[in-house]
Amino acid sequence: MSHLAHTVAVRATGVDMFFGTPENRVVALKQADFEARRGELIMLVGPSGCGKTTLLSVIAGTLTPQAGAVEVFGQRLDGLGQEALTSFRRRHLGFVFQSFNLIPTLTVAENVMVPLLIQGRPYGEARDRAVAILDKVGLKGREDGRPNALSGGQQQRVAIARALVHEPPLLICDEPTSALDKDTGAQIMQMVRDLSRSPERCVVVVTHDHRIFRFADRIAEMEDGRISRVVDDPRLLDTSQL
Amino acid sequence: MYRLALNMLFGDLAKLAMLLCGLAFSALLMAQQSSVFFGIMSWTYTPMVNIRAQVWVSDPMVEQVNDAKPLRDTDLGRVRSVDGVAWAAPLHTSFVQARMQDGNFKLITLVGIDADTFAGAPAVLSQGRIEDLRLPDTVIVDEWGAALMGRMGVGPDGQPRNTPLKVGDTFEINDIQARIVGICRVKRAFTGGPFVYTTYDRAKGYTLGARRTLSFMLVEPQKGVPPAELCDRIERDTGLKAWTSDTVIWNWGERSLARNTFWWFWTNTGIPFSFGTAVLLGLFVGIAISGQTFYSFVLENLKYFAAIKAMGAGMGVIARMLLVQAFTAGLVGFGLGAGMAQAIGRVMIEKGMPPFVMYPQILWATFALVLGISLVSALIGIIKVSRVDAASVFRG
Ligand SMILES: Nc1ncnc2c1ncn2[C@@H]1O[C@H](COP(=O)(O)OP(=O)(O)OP(=O)(O)O)[C@@H](O)[C@H]1O
Ligand SMILES: [Mg+2]
Repeated sequence: MSHLAHTVAVRATGVDMFFGTPENRVVALKQADFEARRGELIMLVGPSGCGKTTLLSVIAGTLTPQAGAVEVFGQRLDGLGQEALTSFRRRHLGFVFQSFNLIPTLTVAENVMVPLLIQGRPYGEARDRAVAILDKVGLKGREDGRPNALSGGQQQRVAIARALVHEPPLLICDEPTSALDKDTGAQIMQMVRDLSRSPERCVVVVTHDHRIFRFADRIAEMEDGRISRVVDDPRLLDTSQL
Repeated sequence: MYRLALNMLFGDLAKLAMLLCGLAFSALLMAQQSSVFFGIMSWTYTPMVNIRAQVWVSDPMVEQVNDAKPLRDTDLGRVRSVDGVAWAAPLHTSFVQARMQDGNFKLITLVGIDADTFAGAPAVLSQGRIEDLRLPDTVIVDEWGAALMGRMGVGPDGQPRNTPLKVGDTFEINDIQARIVGICRVKRAFTGGPFVYTTYDRAKGYTLGARRTLSFMLVEPQKGVPPAELCDRIERDTGLKAWTSDTVIWNWGERSLARNTFWWFWTNTGIPFSFGTAVLLGLFVGIAISGQTFYSFVLENLKYFAAIKAMGAGMGVIARMLLVQAFTAGLVGFGLGAGMAQAIGRVMIEKGMPPFVMYPQILWATFALVLGISLVSALIGIIKVSRVDAASVFRG
């Protein structure tokens, strides 16, 4: 049991999340349980509207559920105030969004520097680290260009650099490949896998894209606001529903 | 993060230009409108500017320079005997009708000055000599009056043409001939039409029927006697009212006739109201434009601020980023607008129309308002961002 506690990165138990008014209530998560381990890349899959993004938001500390316990790297999130949650995200989380969310008026390097600057790192140090990680994602020489001058795949690589530049233990990706073509999507996932691989880091990827299932260590299937099963091999999944 | 905030602001030059245009335009509008307003208001004490004297003495009931209550000629002697008076000269001012050669009447401001000292004489003559006022039936007309009272005729090109009055031309004041011996350049007045200068004694003739003609006394203090102190002495010894002539309307105090005139118009006429409405309109338009442009800037960046928030930036950091952006934009916008207002003002001052007085206070007030607008816009942005759900970043 103590061995298990050590390997657990994220644990959510009995999470309820409703939206809307009491009369017009949308149930997004219903007694959802979820667990992710250190050192693994786990994918969250399921039909549209089943609650994947909502669960991701809950473990990212951007949504506070109505019920349930959430623990991320030993830190209980339920009961934390906004300020503590913000500080938690600053130290523990990296985000990759479906729509990249790069700031178009900043340079590529400045975009990557954001998490470090939020942590209060000096500009010079932040820039050095941003340039170094941009090199790793294959964007050497593009540091001072604008994100809009890059292709979709390149922009998502900038986003990966931004998500990892401050070495967060938890990397969260929501549909990272759905705005990209098949080959580019595979490249991006390969990059996420290569760069985030670390015995301490946990990567949670929400996706519809069965072509990238092979990059997962485990796959958690969601249905109607809860995890219905977890498999180790994507071939065990019935992808026709997705 | 503040450097990033600035780079975000300067990153999109087209949008920045829009934002700065809005802010600059509102600063321009506010500075320009209020300068014209104070310019027009400065016309109320024009006689103080044109008739230069250190100390003015009037009837105790006088409240402003355009409304003289005539004094007795003997009052001159009483003032002259006050300790500290170097000299005192009589001054007549009145609004009278002048009849042009073509039979038309024009309202003029008749100014009668002491023929011995020429105290109160215009500073600049573009034609003629002031000494010629000692000749019989002579007057000096200001340039505006010369044009206003000029003869309409047909030019060589067949177009109607106005020939301004010049030295040697004549007109009539109360059936008495007035022969022009000089054209002077003076400031325009709010009331009463162009300035026509003559001697004090001749002014009595031109205003036949008027029982008293001594409107004001112009007094020069002896060396070393401060005007304000001399005013005290004159009031104490004669019971008349004495004024200083400084035209800085902001300096509070009782003594300045210009200031009292300004505030008399301010409280007793609708002028401040009607022009004030224009100023306020400029203000509102300015606030609307710059508030709107900054607000749309915030809206366009809202999703990025939401992302920054999700990545763990607290509202304090985001608020300061928005404030840095707003104040920088406000500062630059103000600089541009105030610069433009000053440039336009220079042209206006050269042309004399419309009147333009840009007090430093106007610039300070505009500065404060533009920064106020920026602050409000930033606050709206801050509220907007604080309401944004950090979770919204996951939605496309
Ligand atoms: N902010 C919100 N307000 C109201 N309802 C919401 C909100 N966010 C999510 N929902 C609802 O909760 C349910 C789960 O939404 P969620 O976005 O988690 O699904 P998803 O599995 O990510 O779907 P997709 O695959 O389409 O992204 C849906 O019915 C959705 O309409
Ligand atoms: Mg989703």
